[in-house]
Amino acid sequence: MKIETKLISFPEGIVLKSGDKLDSFDLMVETYGELNELKTNAVLVCHAFSGNHIAAGKKDDVTGWWNQIIGPDKAINTNDYFVVCCNNLGGCSGSSGPISINPKTNKVYGSGFPQVSVYDWVASQKMLMDKLNIPYWHMVLGGSLGGMQALQWSIAYPDKIKKAGIFAAAAKSSTQNIAMNEVARESIRKDQNFHNGNYIDHGVIPKNGIKTARMLGHITYLSEEHMDSRFGRKFQDNDTKVNQGVDFEVENYLQYKGKKFSEIFDANTYILMTKAMDGYDAAEGLSSLNDALNSVTAQLLIIGFYSDWLYPPERGKEIQIAAMNNNIKSSYVVLKGEHGHDSFLFHNERYAKIIRKFLES
Amino acid sequence: MSKKISKIINEWVPEKSKVIDFGCGDGSLLKELTESKDILGYGVEINDRKIEECIAKGVSVIKQDIDKGINEFKSSNFDISIMARSIQCLKEPSLALNRMLKLSKRCVVTLPNLGYWKCRLNLAFGKMPVTPDLPSSWHETDNIHLCTINDFEALCKVENIIIKDKVFLNSKGKKSKIAGISSNLVAVEGVYLLEKK
Repeated sequence: MKIETKLISFPEGIVLKSGDKLDSFDLMVETYGELNELKTNAVLVCHAFSGNHIAAGKKDDVTGWWNQIIGPDKAINTNDYFVVCCNNLGGCSGSSGPISINPKTNKVYGSGFPQVSVYDWVASQKMLMDKLNIPYWHMVLGGSLGGMQALQWSIAYPDKIKKAGIFAAAAKSSTQNIAMNEVARESIRKDQNFHNGNYIDHGVIPKNGIKTARMLGHITYLSEEHMDSRFGRKFQDNDTKVNQGVDFEVENYLQYKGKKFSEIFDANTYILMTKAMDGYDAAEGLSSLNDALNSVTAQLLIIGFYSDWLYPPERGKEIQIAAMNNNIKSSYVVLKGEHGHDSFLFHNERYAKIIRKFLES
Repeated sequence: MSKKISKIINEWVPEKSKVIDFGCGDGSLLKELTESKDILGYGVEINDRKIEECIAKGVSVIKQDIDKGINEFKSSNFDISIMARSIQCLKEPSLALNRMLKLSKRCVVTLPNLGYWKCRLNLAFGKMPVTPDLPSSWHETDNIHLCTINDFEALCKVENIIIKDKVFLNSKGKKSKIAGISSNLVAVEGVYLLEKK
């Protein structure tokens, strides 16, 4: 599989939905496979809240977040499709974001990076599409926050997208989603090293806050059944405890995952990404989701997972009903998936087949 | 589904109409109607393997237990709804009929006829009917609400449902020529076009 990673600059800048402006910005982009001569095989994959541009492949100890789905002869077959993924604006994996240098001040943006939204991501991905000389996407797809972007693509650029895959997602975050995210953000803000988001200037990182936020997040991504079968009430082996306060395996797991995440993820990006997720509402300013889907021409594939309680399948059903009301060709499938909300990340035979057949149909 | 039945349904479905097919199986009928009548079709199916086949055919499909959700689609303004050989599997067939006629003006229902003489013969010998059209034994079948053609028409009457058109098929899958009282004896399957009064 041909993999290309590049930083693409947009000196023209972008006016964000909030009205704020970035005079210039960069996107870190990775592509898999090759664009065919007629340019009909481009697929955009959108990452979820903590993902990045590395969607597929294995490099050193880094595995692409959707490596189980994207690759040669996989559900998104890179022998046939040219797959593009970028780190979203405001991210911390190479695209312009809070840890980048603000060209105006030559200092790190920190908390000064403007709040971006799902709308802005889609707008910047459209700019990327143009820069890559891609006339349209054969499909745009993603899970969770990535699914919201796929939905927004179908709304914002109906003539630039043939198909959209909206997995484990919703047309807007629920009250409970927002509440969970606020607890996560609060734990970051209350870290003594946070310094109102300007921790880099102080030479520190609010790792404890990020860690706690991630621990909470992790619980919401998994299902009760999955946690039960994986950890049960088993005690952690004394030799592998991350610290002496740990009793149960599940505690050790969350401590370990949280700590690891706090070493690679930026606190401001955490706040910004969750705010973008909370803020998205496909029907914003309209009377209903029906009105929002009015101009959609792409075929939709909506997939939910029974074990997902963060974005339960019913949320996908709402999109399906609105699509049917608008005479949009649209399918809605609910699958087993044992990993709760995270199920969209994992290969399961039925899931992979459905994606593949939809892509090829 | 037999070619004969899909041909009859094809005649009843208007050009470019919006169609919902409850228990759509592998999506063959909707695919056929899309090609012949340029319809906008949606299938409702519970079996994952069949859903996969629908998607491979490019047929829009919704995973849903029909018993639990017909009403959910009432905002979509369908022209016609179809329920082929599924009504006898539902917990509440009359409720389903009424709900289908709420979401579309017309509906097509096909059902196996328990009044078919071979079924009666089975019962006369003290056995639950097992015929080529009803091949499963009583403890394996999904058909929990089997009825005769006469029973079904009586239900339509009670529910104020108009039978706009009907065709009976014999054991060879052809249109049954014998009309009247004896169709309840000869028909293996009834195909109905219904409308609410």
